[in-house]
Amino acid sequence: MKENKKDVGSASGTPPKQHNKFVQYFINLGARIRGWFVDKWTAIKDFFVGIKTYKQRKLEAELVTNDGPQLTKGEKFRRGLKSQSGWLFVAPALILMLVFTFWPILAAFINAFKQNYNSLSDTYQGIGFENFVRVIKGDTGTGGASFNQCLVNTLLFTLISVPLSTLLALLISVALNSIKAVQKAYQTILFLPYLTNSLAMGAVFATFFTIIGTEKNIETVGLVNNVLGWFGLAPVEWIKASSPVWTLGSIKIPWAKYIVVIVYEVWSGLPFKILILFSALQSINKQYYDAAKVDGASRWTTLWRITAPMIMPQISYLLVTGIMGGMKQYTAIVGIFGEQMGTNYDMGTVVGYIYRYVDNGQYGYAFAGSILLFLIIMVITWINNKITKKHTTYR
Amino acid sequence: MRISIQHLTKIFPSRNKGGAAVHAVEDMCIEIPSGKLVGLLGPSGCGKSTTLFMLSGLESPTSGKIIFDDQDVTTLAAEKRGIGLVFQNYALYPHMTVQENIRFPLDNMRIKKEEGNARALDAARLVQIEDLMARKPSELSGGQQQRVAIARALVKMPNVLLLDEPLSNLDARLRLQTREEIKRIQRETGITTVFVTHDQEEAMSICDIMVVMKLGVVQQIGAPQEIYDDPNNLFVANFLGTPPINIFKGKIEGGKVYVGGEVVSATEYEDQEVYVGIRPEGYIYDPDGVLTLKVDHIEVMGRDKSVVATHESSTKPTVRCIIDSDVVLPPDAAELKFNIKPYKLFLFNAETEERLR
Repeated sequence: MKENKKDVGSASGTPPKQHNKFVQYFINLGARIRGWFVDKWTAIKDFFVGIKTYKQRKLEAELVTNDGPQLTKGEKFRRGLKSQSGWLFVAPALILMLVFTFWPILAAFINAFKQNYNSLSDTYQGIGFENFVRVIKGDTGTGGASFNQCLVNTLLFTLISVPLSTLLALLISVALNSIKAVQKAYQTILFLPYLTNSLAMGAVFATFFTIIGTEKNIETVGLVNNVLGWFGLAPVEWIKASSPVWTLGSIKIPWAKYIVVIVYEVWSGLPFKILILFSALQSINKQYYDAAKVDGASRWTTLWRITAPMIMPQISYLLVTGIMGGMKQYTAIVGIFGEQMGTNYDMGTVVGYIYRYVDNGQYGYAFAGSILLFLIIMVITWINNKITKKHTTYR
Repeated sequence: MRISIQHLTKIFPSRNKGGAAVHAVEDMCIEIPSGKLVGLLGPSGCGKSTTLFMLSGLESPTSGKIIFDDQDVTTLAAEKRGIGLVFQNYALYPHMTVQENIRFPLDNMRIKKEEGNARALDAARLVQIEDLMARKPSELSGGQQQRVAIARALVKMPNVLLLDEPLSNLDARLRLQTREEIKRIQRETGITTVFVTHDQEEAMSICDIMVVMKLGVVQQIGAPQEIYDDPNNLFVANFLGTPPINIFKGKIEGGKVYVGGEVVSATEYEDQEVYVGIRPEGYIYDPDGVLTLKVDHIEVMGRDKSVVATHESSTKPTVRCIIDSDVVLPPDAAELKFNIKPYKLFLFNAETEERLR
């Protein structure tokens, strides 16, 4: 917990503000956490600095055997430290994680509830859910896509691209597994996208899809439009502002841009998924396939009733991590559509939204957005686990 | 279904270039009458499992023919042969329940669910696992998994049932029980059954016809007792029987069979070096017997007792003679003399190891 807790009241000289129960709970929690650290710190200091004599140790040992441990928390911990010196090895990583991971998470949670939080003066006006309400209502006072728009974008990108790329990866790895010749070469080719920077890939995708030139003087309609042209389809504006849009209430769905993102995400998600599924396939005992063959199963039946259930642990892992990763999508959009994430952030993702408010200093909205994202990911993952667990048999 | 195996050969090409190809099965010819239980018997690597997989259609032969009744199935795919196969490790699908496992072949035949369930239950009843239908394979014991595998093989009413080392993953007690079970199921269904084993006792106890193999070559085919009583060569004689046959180096001279300096039997074969094989139960204690053995110790088994002895001409460290428990042996005798039952004594050529016939 931050020590120099200030509020607007104390800054202007009036007596400290009485906190409500909700805030008091966190203050107490903070005090307890602080107490825990102080306790441990004393013990660690004791361990390194305090050198006990033999007599003292013996006395202490007797104390334990005769009367049971009548020790302070610190002393108990110090004893524990001696027997569990493993903690010392973990300590460097743990400290770094405390400072750079756990503390920021905690701080985000706390600051999300501070209204009109000013990061420069560390001041705020009251505690409550106002940030959340404004984020959800789209009442943040800045232009660009609303949180809801960004959430719809993110959800659609993720929920379409992750299952699609997992399915494709499954089919490709099954195909890869069934060929003998040049299997290694295919593996390498399929894995290449994984080694490529996502911004660079985004830029390449953008050139595939972009129409170059003015409306009257088109220099090229881009690779994809050219291919579509072979089938007699008119060129579509995939990237720029004039791209076609469906409007559903306050939510806009620029479907052409969506297609670009989904194609990108499916393609860039494939290599890792193929890698995992391919190795999973190779670990399946060949005898199951022999048995299926004798049992008269077709290739299709074998795929869906033998292969897929056998590698369900890996598939569910890919779905869970894929959806988590998809919900945090950011770089690809910037890579394809530039820093503005399309036209006035219309292709923005939730992380893009958060980043936008970090950038312009309105941290409260950024914190609120990130906590909403956290909750959404948590719910989706929970549902995902419920579903996949039902269909998973661990061998 | 009648099975006819004609000049069946399987050659596995060498993994590394220039290495020798492996002749897993060579020129195998067997006729299996309908409804018989046939055991392929041999030590590891003798090609018995390869033969079974060629019968099932999972391996294709290098040359030769496999004929079911009058149909040549040599190139027919496994699923079209109408066979049931039980794998050594059962290969039950771990994500399916017992019922789904048994029903799986029927599902592939597009049989309606109710009928499939009814037939699965019938198959389960036959192997006595009908109360385990809702379990997953991981929740079953080895013996139960074995039964599920048999039920899955039987449910589609195959013409031929193939079992690959069906008992090797079971403990000793269960093995005895299951082999009788297999015999019972085979009798009840009347399905021509071929099974593979390396355990001669197992094969002897349940087979109608036994095929003894060595290094891909069939050594002898026949009823178990026939083969035991009349082995074709030293390998077959040696492989069958517990305790194993005693082999002595000997020779024939002037119509007499010599082991060491003693004449153990008369013969009409011409003079040559021979191996003399004597079944453990072929010894009769007689103070004036023809063969003298140095006694090591005597094991009393209750029903009978066995004399563990040594002999300088024996190819094995000890010679074992099983005699009736009511035969009284002189106590603490260093040497005992035995007569030999003539039909328990076999002569093999020392070079070819073929039986003298």
